[in-house]
Amino acid sequence: MSRDNSNLSVNEVKIIKTGCCHDCGGRCVLRTHVKNGKIIRIETDNGDEPQLRACARGRAYRQRIYSPERLKYPLRRVGERGEGKFERISWDEALEIVSSKLIEIKEKYGNSAILLVPGGGNQGMIHGIVPIVLMLHQIGGYTRMWGAPSYEGVLFASMATYGTMMTGNAREDLLNSKLIIMWGWNPANTIWDPETNLILAKAREKGIKIYAIDPIFTDSAAILADEWIPIRPGTDTALLIAITYEIITQNLQDQSFIETYTVGFEKYKDYVLGIEDNQPKTPEWAEEITSVPANMIRKLAQEYATSKPAALIAGWGPARTAFGEQYSRAANVLCAITGNIGINGGYASGFMRAYYSRERIVPGEKKKTDTSNKEQKPKKPRLKDNPIDFGAPPREDALYKLSGGTNPANTRIHYNDYYEAILQGKKGGYPADIKMAYIAGTNRLNQFSNVNKGVKAFKSLDFIIIHEQFMTPTAKFADVILPVNTFMERNDVAVPWLGSPYYIYLNKAIESLYESKSDLEICRELLKRMGIKSSLLDLPEDQILRLFIAPRKDIKSYNKMKRDGYYKVKVEEPFVAFKDQIADLENNPFPTLSGKIEIYCEHIAEKNNPLMPSFPQYFSHDEHYDSPKAKKYPLQLITPHNKRRTHSTLNMIPWLEEIEPHAVWINPVDAEPRKIKEEDLVDVYNDRGRIRIPAKVTGRVMPGVVVVYQGSWYNPNKEGVDLGGCANVLTNDVHSPGGAFPMNSNLVQVELYVKKQAEGF
Amino acid sequence: MPQMGFYFDQTRCTGCFACAVACKDWHDIPAGPINWLRIKEIEKGKYPKLFLTYLVQACNHCTDPPCIKACPVNAIIKRESDGVVIVNQEECIGKNECGFKCLKVCPWDAPQFGLEENAKMQKCDLCLERLEQGQQTICVEACPMYALDVGPINELREKYGNNVDAEGFNYSEKYKPSIVFKPRFYDKK
Repeated sequence: MSRDNSNLSVNEVKIIKTGCCHDCGGRCVLRTHVKNGKIIRIETDNGDEPQLRACARGRAYRQRIYSPERLKYPLRRVGERGEGKFERISWDEALEIVSSKLIEIKEKYGNSAILLVPGGGNQGMIHGIVPIVLMLHQIGGYTRMWGAPSYEGVLFASMATYGTMMTGNAREDLLNSKLIIMWGWNPANTIWDPETNLILAKAREKGIKIYAIDPIFTDSAAILADEWIPIRPGTDTALLIAITYEIITQNLQDQSFIETYTVGFEKYKDYVLGIEDNQPKTPEWAEEITSVPANMIRKLAQEYATSKPAALIAGWGPARTAFGEQYSRAANVLCAITGNIGINGGYASGFMRAYYSRERIVPGEKKKTDTSNKEQKPKKPRLKDNPIDFGAPPREDALYKLSGGTNPANTRIHYNDYYEAILQGKKGGYPADIKMAYIAGTNRLNQFSNVNKGVKAFKSLDFIIIHEQFMTPTAKFADVILPVNTFMERNDVAVPWLGSPYYIYLNKAIESLYESKSDLEICRELLKRMGIKSSLLDLPEDQILRLFIAPRKDIKSYNKMKRDGYYKVKVEEPFVAFKDQIADLENNPFPTLSGKIEIYCEHIAEKNNPLMPSFPQYFSHDEHYDSPKAKKYPLQLITPHNKRRTHSTLNMIPWLEEIEPHAVWINPVDAEPRKIKEEDLVDVYNDRGRIRIPAKVTGRVMPGVVVVYQGSWYNPNKEGVDLGGCANVLTNDVHSPGGAFPMNSNLVQVELYVKKQAEGF
Repeated sequence: MPQMGFYFDQTRCTGCFACAVACKDWHDIPAGPINWLRIKEIEKGKYPKLFLTYLVQACNHCTDPPCIKACPVNAIIKRESDGVVIVNQEECIGKNECGFKCLKVCPWDAPQFGLEENAKMQKCDLCLERLEQGQQTICVEACPMYALDVGPINELREKYGNNVDAEGFNYSEKYKPSIVFKPRFYDKK
């Protein structure tokens, strides 16, 4: 190593303020030290409190920018799809190929043959998929998909229960709680806004009791919580319902809150008490399902119902399961029946928090719910509308009568069905015959269920174009790869993760490396080649940014935000979700169809789908611990986030790689009969595929459960065994009725890998 | 002159490695065996009664550092002005020639060596360059949990108390490491 920097005078180094904007729970300040056009060091926020201090991922970013693996030039595929053989071509040639392919496919098959495969890899306002979406709208649209793997079940439940995705109080309000339950929530690794972990630590220091309910003894469970309650994956709904049973039978519910602010309690109560199905959902019933002792369930119920105000924060992981939306619904309803909504120290569990950084609502402006669904719709698509599904009737399973959320209800293909949609097309009942995929901001093959089916789907397409920074497993399938720059090589604004009052201005720190261009520049040039003028994209970058932030009235000064690299909104007191509704329901109804919190949701009842019940219910399914399949594949696989990647981004950064080697976590109880020892190479497999990675034998995961942290890159050998350890080789490409992705509902077997002579080792 | 030292709040550390990566970035140290700042993961107990905690360790800039006495060529120096222990790499004769004498006597593995032939010793210099400009060390400013502090050890003791024990740490009366802890101990119960 060199210590050449040690005698630098500050004058030679320019500090340029930017921040992280990948798809993580952060959004933190990075102050880059730039010398001679090169970033030599990175610091984080040292300004106003609360500081937005970056985690290890952001601190390691220099190794991503200057990684020898960065894509340097436009590339054209010369080998087979997936083989990774490419040749360098000029930008002229690349743009010509892409623009003429877009026109060719559009003219030959229609716009619906173009599938946009977008991702959240870039969360800046004007890069990543944003300019691509706008460009495709201008050429007549594209086939799009609905559903977000991270949170679809939680989003559905928030909309169904509260009519909005903006739930939950400000983080600092946790200091007003008497009890905090971190349910399937590991902010120590997933961050969930930079101040979260510090506030949880302060809460514990203040004597506020914190429980962690999780199949894994996570860093959050170990360090932030007082007590860890292990739970069998996919059974959280049963535990929530049994807690509800105990509360009702002990008469600990907040009856006046229930009567004033909710609808449908009696119907749910009948189910919980077993009046409906002769199965009282007792703690003993739940113990058998969840493996949480009945006494512990009683204790949890007692403490949560009587320690008012109490914050139940139900994370997204348990909702990434078959019927994940039921878990999230049951959690939301539990918050309601204990009256922990709309008060300081309480918490309306749900999608995000009540600050308006994601769902764009102007402060003070009331959210309108379209109860009649007869809103005046424009007759012609605007720039922000996709002409392909513009005006299409809503999907039957969508909560289309509610406004807000993140999903277009007129879109037909669920994200976890898109391999089937590509492979089957209209013959299979899908709305289009897909010929071309336009991929950006995502390593989709790696990050969606059933990689091996994805390989088949990608191989069947006529043309694949991708915007990328690295040769990801997905990029290897593209016909043309356009190298994009990173957020440190362009200007942008990043909105925080789900609901904190600040913004990050990403100042361009260095010129674009090699021949990389921004997504915006690429789309401008493609449009030009297609002979289309864009009233928006052709504007200067700064002007587009100003237009994009204009609806955000909480940013009082664009220039200050740019200068400081962040804009921290002054909030007088910690915001409390649904405070107005609780204070004066008549004038501030909940944005649901009933105007109240919906324990029973009529809009769901209309669907008449027994697997999408109108109040929360627990279901088993064909890949559950008690299903027949568990005989062949007796271990439950969960695929959470770890501390060193952001999904699959940053997978190959040496400073991060050495923090935690990729391994499958397995309890000694399961490892011993399989003769598996620490660091042994093992195969994890099911009918969908096989991965081969080292084992970490640890009590930090409960017996019967194995953990493969998602995001490691798919790297198959000749036999098709993934040596990269990509979790999605094993996950199932289906979705639950409410849209949840079952990334944590997989059955697998694990065996010691024995090197065979025949394999030539 | 005051002796500089570290404070570490073990109850807050989530093992996020922001400090360790920030240290490597600031001092331009590649991934690999050189870790000026090390994070020990301590796992105890048995499922479901588990205990997990982290211990962050750089150089403790001892009052009476054994490494200085062990060095055959006096390449390690304790600065009079602030008690910071630094290594003069021009004097260091390298790991192969000397045989890791400084590392062998340090109870906390502060001296670090690269993989290259006869690598010279390097270690935490308490970000002297930053301290001299009135800034905090890079690790202290990195910690999202505010679990680290660096300053005159007397002031740290006034602020945080005199405790020198932590889970996974062995204090040495002889060397007097300049450290204060808020500890988190494993309780078998």
